[in-house]
Amino acid sequence: MLELKNLTVHYGHKRVVHDVDLTLAPGQTLGLAGESGSGKSTLAMSVLRLLPKTARVDGEILLDGEDVRTMAWGRLRAVRWASASVVFQGAMHSLNPVHRVGDQIAEPIRLHGTTGSVADLLDQVELPGDKARAYPHELSGGQKQRVMIAMALACGPRLVIADEPTTALDVVVQAQVLAVLQRLVAEQDLGLLMISHDLSVLAETCDDLAVMQAGEIVERGRTREVIANPRHPHTAALTAAFPVIGDPAHRWADPRPTPPPLLQVRDLRVNYGRTRAVDGVDLTVGHGEIVALVGQSGSGKTTLARTIMGLRTPSSGRVIFDGSEVPRGGRALKAVRRQVQLVLQDPSSALNPRHRVFDAVAEALRVHGLREDEEALVTAAVERAELRPASLYLDALPHELSGGQQQRVVIAGALVLGPRLLVADEPVASLDASVRGEIVALLLRLRTELGLASLIITHDLGLAWQIADRVAVMHQGKIVEQGSVEEVLLTPSHDYTRALVRAVPRV
Amino acid sequence: MSVVSRPGVARLLSHRAGVAGAAVLVAAGVLAALAPLFISDETLDVTRVTAAAWQGPGADHWLGTDHAGRSVALLMAQGAGTSLLVGLSAAVLAVGIGTLVGVLSGHFGGWLAGALLRVTDFFLVLPALVLAIALSTVLPRGLGTIVLAIGLTSWPSTARMVRAQTLAIEARPFVERARALGGGHAHVIGRHVLPSVVPLVLVNTTLAVASAIVAESTLAFLGLGDPTRISWGALLHQAQLHGAVPQRAWWYLLPPGLAIVAVVLAFTLVGRALEAVVTPKR
Amino acid sequence: MRLAGRFGGAALSLLMVAVLGFFLFRVVPGDPVVSMTRGRPSTEALQAELRAQFGLDRPLHEQFWSYLTSLLHGDLGTSFTFRRPVAEVILERLGPTLLLVGTSTLIAVLLGLWLGVRAAWRRDSAFDRVTTGVSLTLWAVPTFWLGMLLMVVTGDLFPSRGMRDTDTAPDFVSQALDVGHHLVLPSITLVAVVCAEYVLVMRSSLLQEMHAPYLTTARAKGLRDDLVRTRHAVPNAVLPAITLVFLRFGLVVAGAITTETVFSWPGLGLLFYDALTGPDYFLLQGLLVVTAGAVVVMNLLADLLHGVLDPRVRVG
Repeated sequence: MLELKNLTVHYGHKRVVHDVDLTLAPGQTLGLAGESGSGKSTLAMSVLRLLPKTARVDGEILLDGEDVRTMAWGRLRAVRWASASVVFQGAMHSLNPVHRVGDQIAEPIRLHGTTGSVADLLDQVELPGDKARAYPHELSGGQKQRVMIAMALACGPRLVIADEPTTALDVVVQAQVLAVLQRLVAEQDLGLLMISHDLSVLAETCDDLAVMQAGEIVERGRTREVIANPRHPHTAALTAAFPVIGDPAHRWADPRPTPPPLLQVRDLRVNYGRTRAVDGVDLTVGHGEIVALVGQSGSGKTTLARTIMGLRTPSSGRVIFDGSEVPRGGRALKAVRRQVQLVLQDPSSALNPRHRVFDAVAEALRVHGLREDEEALVTAAVERAELRPASLYLDALPHELSGGQQQRVVIAGALVLGPRLLVADEPVASLDASVRGEIVALLLRLRTELGLASLIITHDLGLAWQIADRVAVMHQGKIVEQGSVEEVLLTPSHDYTRALVRAVPRV
Repeated sequence: MSVVSRPGVARLLSHRAGVAGAAVLVAAGVLAALAPLFISDETLDVTRVTAAAWQGPGADHWLGTDHAGRSVALLMAQGAGTSLLVGLSAAVLAVGIGTLVGVLSGHFGGWLAGALLRVTDFFLVLPALVLAIALSTVLPRGLGTIVLAIGLTSWPSTARMVRAQTLAIEARPFVERARALGGGHAHVIGRHVLPSVVPLVLVNTTLAVASAIVAESTLAFLGLGDPTRISWGALLHQAQLHGAVPQRAWWYLLPPGLAIVAVVLAFTLVGRALEAVVTPKR
Repeated sequence: MRLAGRFGGAALSLLMVAVLGFFLFRVVPGDPVVSMTRGRPSTEALQAELRAQFGLDRPLHEQFWSYLTSLLHGDLGTSFTFRRPVAEVILERLGPTLLLVGTSTLIAVLLGLWLGVRAAWRRDSAFDRVTTGVSLTLWAVPTFWLGMLLMVVTGDLFPSRGMRDTDTAPDFVSQALDVGHHLVLPSITLVAVVCAEYVLVMRSSLLQEMHAPYLTTARAKGLRDDLVRTRHAVPNAVLPAITLVFLRFGLVVAGAITTETVFSWPGLGLLFYDALTGPDYFLLQGLLVVTAGAVVVMNLLADLLHGVLDPRVRVG
């Protein structure tokens, strides 16, 4: 049905896709895995000739035997959506904000003169029919993604291309959306080309798997076999990045006895206007202990972290660091801040794009008026974060570094004051899979070498399994369950934790 | 830290319209600076000129003469200084106020920000020219009044833009990191907000000069200018007053207007070129 | 809730307009009578009488209070030059201005938005370059100068002074044709300058939407390029553009003042100019309050219109 032959795409002189051959039969499900910049999205967009004019496409793209590259515009428009449709990533922006979703679903039906009703389509994706009158902003992320799927099926295509269809969705919602997609593909015997950076998502949905790196397909085969016995090193790196909960090989933290408490949170409450973001939380992080705070977006975990850092004022309750209560402001708070450091999710935005590495790392020293030995301290911190030799990096601007290097700079900036606790908000969520393992290893090594404790805030249960000693699960502002990693993740006692664990896609 | 890096300059040079604009500005600046050197007071003194009024362009006066027999070419040269001076000073005043208000209302929350925002929005919608006219009517005539009238009425758009940029920067994680490190207001504004606002302010100043020059010419045309100075707008005021239109004295009407258009367009083009350079492409 | 907030904000803005008018013309000048009689023969006694007549001999807060209460009753004071109520004088001149400004804004908005959309959609095409270049140049042109040039260039083709000739037949058709004939040059002037602004606003607004992912969705559905534009891109881009158009209504007001001055169009703009030459502070004050008030009201309308047109605002 779909056949790519020697497909090569250039942007100017930059080659994004190189000599790709791929075939997809009706009813076949093929996953295309790769990191950001691997060319997987470009490949997907080329199928319907949706690339910007600056792209140069060579090779053949045969859709039902016809080359998309050489089709007349009229023919191409007729083929689009009727033969193959797309579920775009980020339904938030891929739906037109000023049209009702029903009209947007109906648009291709009218255009191509096919039969199909909006109500039926919504019913297929398990949305009530009255949602047709809604505007995109009135729907939740999961609902919008369902609308995208309904829209993709509107003209009864035989091929659906799904480009990161569940990225940015919470695990539970992701599981629901994937289930809908899987069911429809099976029922209607559709061909599915699914693109994702997340191997576990592909493992759930696709029978076959192709792995892309730097524009080339480096490995392909049956999904189970590829993941079980990766032959290419890049595939191996990708599989390692998605730890299997319960697998001792993926448990990197060595067991240790419970240490005396360093940070204690007691009955903490934080209100945002009338809503209570954090509702009576008790939490302890011991000396040199790594605690994972797990929860969905909106669970209040980020607010809790900000409050511990003194960036938000609690409505009631106490935060105790090293035996004394953290003050709400002034000099004393600043003194605590030397010992508690923040590491943020997206390193590219956690660094001021105008500041060189040296300035970014030295910022903490300058804020605290530690002018002496600035250079030696910065160099030491940068090398601790395993950017060696430091001199290579000190003059670089953030955009000249890779994502992993940027995150190391952020960590170096936190280490420079010699802190005792790191509060890390999704420290690996925006990193490419192959870099992720290195940063996780670095955090563990810092604990071993410096006795550095960490509070790791994450939505990623796999990360918790990999790195943490203890896990606390947060839901609607409350900690619903906490305990050792094995207890919480392997034998969850709270319903919510069980739902979370169940929703994690299995490789 | 330099505001525009060297590759930035190279990119700026690639904007042909911007370079052309810059050339026009340099020419106008040189003309304005040299004018006092070759023009003596007598040549422009109505009581002492000897040439006939309303002469078309010719060998003696290559842009003709005005209603009193003064050379239009010399008047033009003399007027350049005033127009540029007023435009620049008013723009600096407006952008200065706008930047201050913008950073303050963007950085500090609470009632101060609310009040500043309210006032900014209020002045943003009011017709600036009407306010400027009102101000220059009630204050004593003079160069300072014109600058004040234009500067005090054209800051809100800058304030709006700077505020938006300040808010955007403050929402970025690196500012949160700086706060978590214990950085106070001075640190956040000085190290993070201002450096990112400066390029924008530069662009804004350039564009503000353009509109300030138009505003000056309008005020002068309405007879609100400094009566002791010649500016391009004042020349057009004189032309209108003494009937250049019925006289069909195109040589008296065209040069001041064209000069204003050229300089304003030049500032606009340079501003847009700068804007294209400093705003990062996504 | 949102609606109440908007109306409250507009009411506050109107109050601020009133305060501004008082501050500018009663507080800043010190003694308005001295300024207004400057360059005219006057005696201390005459000035004292004037002060009493206009209530300027009372303390400032009393003056403010009586100013505010009479403003609420639609009383804008008495004109110094016309010796008639300011409100009456303004009302008289309202019609011609509405005719000129209304016609010009309508043409400028339609033309400006259409040109802006075409220019943005074919970015960097010859059409775009010419449209943008002409708009930038027109934006740099002082309104009054353009008017003067038009007069010189068109010669006797169009009347250049006033709104109607005295010798036109009194029947409606002749009168309307005559006014239309007089309207040509002033409205071309006003349209040219205002339209340039609208072209640039619409163009940049659409350019911002050009890379929106939902346009890729629309293309992938098989829509023709012009349908992608008219159905998907333009509705999104026009909303902010319309808001900006209303926001810059002050620009139209400013343009009207100079245009009416140049063409002696007997509207509020010319009245403004006449009041300047006095200077007639009370008339100026009245004009400022009325024009600024009109702009505030226009903004409120823009806000309400935006709320009706944009589903994202409608609910939120």
